Formats: sequence, C-alpha cells, structure tokens
Amino acid sequence: MNGIHDLGGRHGHGPIDIDPEQPVFRSDSERRTFGMFILAFAGGHFNVDQFRSAIEQMKPAEYLESTYYEHWLHALETLCVENGTLTKKELDDRFEALSKGTH
Amino acid sequence: MPTLFPTDMLDGLIKTGGSCRVNVNVKPGFAPGDAVTAININPKTHTRLPTYIRGKRGVVMRDHGAFVFPDTNSQLKGEKPQHVYSVMFEAGELWGDAEFPKDKVLIDMFEDYLKPVEGK
Repeated sequence: MNGIHDLGGRHGHGPIDIDPEQPVFRSDSERRTFGMFILAFAGGHFNVDQFRSAIEQMKPAEYLESTYYEHWLHALETLCVENGTLTKKELDDRFEALSKGTH
Repeated sequence: MPTLFPTDMLDGLIKTGGSCRVNVNVKPGFAPGDAVTAININPKTHTRLPTYIRGKRGVVMRDHGAFVFPDTNSQLKGEKPQHVYSVMFEAGELWGDAEFPKDKVLIDMFEDYLKPVEGK
C-alpha cells in the first residue's frame, strides 16, 4: 500500500530522535498496549504482517499525529473486531465506562 | 480458531521478538554480487517494498536466508517462503542529483521484489 507509513526519503520530518536514555515505555498505557499485543499475538489472533498492514490503513493525518504504541492499539482494535474476538459495541461500551469512571 | 502459543516461550518472544525465518529448503535465485532491479508494483495491500526503491538498480550484498513473505502472509494467502537479501543502492540512483551520490542505502529485500538487471 502506498500509504503515509512509507516515509523513507521524505523531507521535513526532522532528525531521527536518538536518545540513549529513551525509556522503553513513556507511559503506563504504552506498557499495557505492549502486553495486550503480546497476548493477542501469542494467542494467534493475527500474524505480524496483518498487524503491520492494519497500521498502514490508519487515516494518514491520524497516523502522523499519533505515537508508536497508538499505532499498535489501532491495529489491535481493528484486527480483533475484524476477526470477531471483540465487537465494536464491546469496545465502545468499554470506552464509555472508562470515560465515566464506572468500570 | 486461534493457535495457542506456549506460555513458557513468552519470555523469549518478548525479549527477542518473533522471527519470520523459516527452516525450509528454498533455493536462492540471487547471490552476493548480482546486479538487480527492484520491481515496480503498487499494490493496495501490504508490501515491504518502499516506494523510493521501485524500479531502481542495486547490487546484492548478502543472503539472509529464507523468510515468510509479508505480501501474501498479511492477506492469509500463504507464507510463500523465500530468500531475503541485503541489497545496496546508491543515493545517486535513488535520488538523482543527491548531495552525496555515492552514499549507500542497504535495504532488506524479499526475492519477489527483485529481477535480474537486463543484459547481465
């Protein structure tokens, strides 16, 4: 797919951020996203190429504005709904509960 | 139905990542030193062939062995195991009037992305 992810050779994105002190996770949500990915992947819910493909199908502006682990979360949600592991309604209900603090 | 991953191997998966290397005997179509051209394809599905490499000429530097082919595996159309090569492209070939035309870009390329340079 000739998508926004294919950034090789593009100008204007600034230098690569090489920080030797860079933490593995910048927030607890990143740690949890990693954990969810590992479990879903190990559980056979998708293969790594399906996962990359799902990331590439993000809306271009959203892709550029979001972080690495947000890309992962997008792919997790997309694939788990596509393969029937979750329903869109289950996701929406969970988001609503979390936003209201009633979970 | 999902395939279950052995839980005692999860630590290894987290530490080293999952490898798509396959232990099947696939004959390589290219060897180090071969002059190659990247094919020009524009699929709407997943591919690991960057746009800026398509149609460009390079040289095979190393054979990494055989791996699962992402283009088909991403669509659950089979693993199509094949060799992956480190292929060297010069900046001048990729970007024309590059500031440093002899700079080199090394890219891991699946065999299906390559064809021999014509006349060689």
